[in-house]
Amino acid sequence: MTASELIVTKKLTKQYPIGGNFFTALREVDLCIDQCEFTGIVGPSGSGKTTLLNIIGALDAPTNGNAKVLGSEIGKMNHVEAAKLRNQYLGFIFQTYNLLPVYNVFENVEFPLLLQHIESSKRVDMVNKALEWVGLSEKAKSKPAQLSGGESQRVAIARAIVKQPKIVLADEPTANLDAQNSHHILKTMVTLNEELGTTFVFSTHDEKVISYLRRKIKLSDGEIVDDTIVN
Amino acid sequence: MTKFLFLGLLRDKQKSLFPIIIVSVGVVLTTWLYSWMLGVFNEVIEGNARFNNGHLKVTTIAYNEISSQIPNDLCLTEVDKLLETLRAEHKEYEWTPRIKFGGMIDVPDETGETRAQAPIIGFAADLRSEFSKENERLQISKALVKGKFPSQSNEIVISDVLADNLEINIGDVATLIGVSANGGMAIHNFVVSGTVQFGMTALDRGALIADIGDVQYAMDMENAAGEILGFLKNGMFNEELATSNKEIFNKNHSDAGDEFSPLMVTLLDQEGLGDYLIYAKSAGGIIVSIFVFAMSIVLWNTGLMSGIRRYGEVGVRLAMGETKGHIYKSMLVESVLIGLVGSFIGSMIGVAVSFYFQEYGIDISSTFKNSTLMVNDVIRAKVTAGSYYIGFIPGVLAMLFGTAISGIGIFRRQTATLFKELEV
Ligand SMILES: Nc1ncnc2c1ncn2[C@@H]1O[C@H](COP(=O)(O)OP(=O)(O)O)[C@@H](O)[C@H]1O
Ligand SMILES: [Mg+2]
Repeated sequence: MTASELIVTKKLTKQYPIGGNFFTALREVDLCIDQCEFTGIVGPSGSGKTTLLNIIGALDAPTNGNAKVLGSEIGKMNHVEAAKLRNQYLGFIFQTYNLLPVYNVFENVEFPLLLQHIESSKRVDMVNKALEWVGLSEKAKSKPAQLSGGESQRVAIARAIVKQPKIVLADEPTANLDAQNSHHILKTMVTLNEELGTTFVFSTHDEKVISYLRRKIKLSDGEIVDDTIVN
Repeated sequence: MTKFLFLGLLRDKQKSLFPIIIVSVGVVLTTWLYSWMLGVFNEVIEGNARFNNGHLKVTTIAYNEISSQIPNDLCLTEVDKLLETLRAEHKEYEWTPRIKFGGMIDVPDETGETRAQAPIIGFAADLRSEFSKENERLQISKALVKGKFPSQSNEIVISDVLADNLEINIGDVATLIGVSANGGMAIHNFVVSGTVQFGMTALDRGALIADIGDVQYAMDMENAAGEILGFLKNGMFNEELATSNKEIFNKNHSDAGDEFSPLMVTLLDQEGLGDYLIYAKSAGGIIVSIFVFAMSIVLWNTGLMSGIRRYGEVGVRLAMGETKGHIYKSMLVESVLIGLVGSFIGSMIGVAVSFYFQEYGIDISSTFKNSTLMVNDVIRAKVTAGSYYIGFIPGVLAMLFGTAISGIGIFRRQTATLFKELEV
């Protein structure tokens, strides 16, 4: 593993117990993702994309093989170490935005910084900058309920990016968005990838997303069937 | 971070307002029930004090030993001196002499022959002194069914049932046949001025109330009395005060070697009342506990519901890198806060409601229409120090348990599973 390799999996296998049996969601996945990549895990529903992202995000552990993220082995971490990894180096974007409804836009974006115990004046700067990136500075005081789907997802992007993580994991981020909004947020993410050098890993089966990817890793029934770099 | 979470709590009415309302309601009910039970037990104690035992009672040592036999031959003598001493040395209490006696009541016809006869139990109390409160204590005027209060010499009231059985009318003569203090026969003519309903079967079957002066004369008990009762001037029975007064009096005036020397006892020393109080307290404790338990289940459910409702929030916070331990702790702190606020509000309202019922009570006389019971027909709550904090037990604990249990679900689940629940 070289310094630029952020995510490395070796024979990564994940099985879910079903009845007395096992269902294999990931089968011996070998994968290496470098810094600054804009990569998508592509495949139909049920192919294991979310499972793979969850393991990379230290939300789940492998059954066999191993996954190393930023040099730490996921299967060997305890809760606290996993939380620390997420807190410091990982940003998440979900299909359903998952903003906290009682907090306004500013506060939602501020939340990860509070977990890092960053002091108040610095927090304000960082949140304002993140909102600028996603073009929502005017909506800082709005509540999530007052936002459109596209705006909500942009807040979620700001929240994922505000602490300038090494990696952003985005699980079907456009699934609930129309074409125009999908393109808008993808452009935002491309810009962030270029300007901040943040690595983006998507899970998607949306053609619009796929058209922006620089690398497509095709997953089928838990196995990598294709891995293409787009020029 | 704390401020951030606190803000969220304040804004989320599902998380703060509703649980607070539910906790408050439960706490109001607990507080009220507790005060109410205390009031009812208290009424039993006070009723006993007024009729039989006083808060404190002075008799001779010998009388006290067999007091259930009403041994008036062992009565206190030189009662005026003793009363003076008591009034001087035990000023918090009002002191009044009483004589209980047994005997027969005999109703003569026009020719003086016996028309009807019945056994009776008699109460002699100071009915005619200017400042006597015995009418209030025995509630004679209030319990009158026919006739009037016995304010004239040799007038008595008897139980209404007895009057019916003996076919006595107001103004009729009734002759008491009893035993005098020195063992002789006591025969005395009284005039029935009224009838009363005692509200206690034993007394309604055959009891009379007479003035103590008349009874002293009738029974050869000049300046003597079976008992001297003490009632706390402002208030209900107070165990500590009664006990300390008892100890002081007995040290100064009681002589264990002289069975005719006076002895002071408290309400709790008599006729198993102490046991009753212990029983009442534990019964009250059990009833309140059952209520507390039921409330806890309701509140626990609230905690549970809000816990489940929060899986989504928990998932996001985990993704942001908060540890499970920290999330769990913050949920517990929130629940304690809500429990405290709800208990505080509930206790205030509960105590206010209890004070209302302490002041005005519930009039049960309308439940027993047309009855003029001698027992209090208004039942009151009683507010004590306990009323202020009893509600905090179910309020805080139930909220805390509920959250703790629902929170364990969050711990038990795989992080990824919690996460799955974020997906629609
Ligand atoms: N917790 C689980 N228990 C059992 N089976 C699961 C669990 N999570 C996912 N699966 C199964 O694993 C497969 C891959 O799931 P997932 O990674 O969510 O696919 P994708 O995100 O590509 O749609 C699916 O068939 C799914 O039913
Ligand atoms: Mg998925």
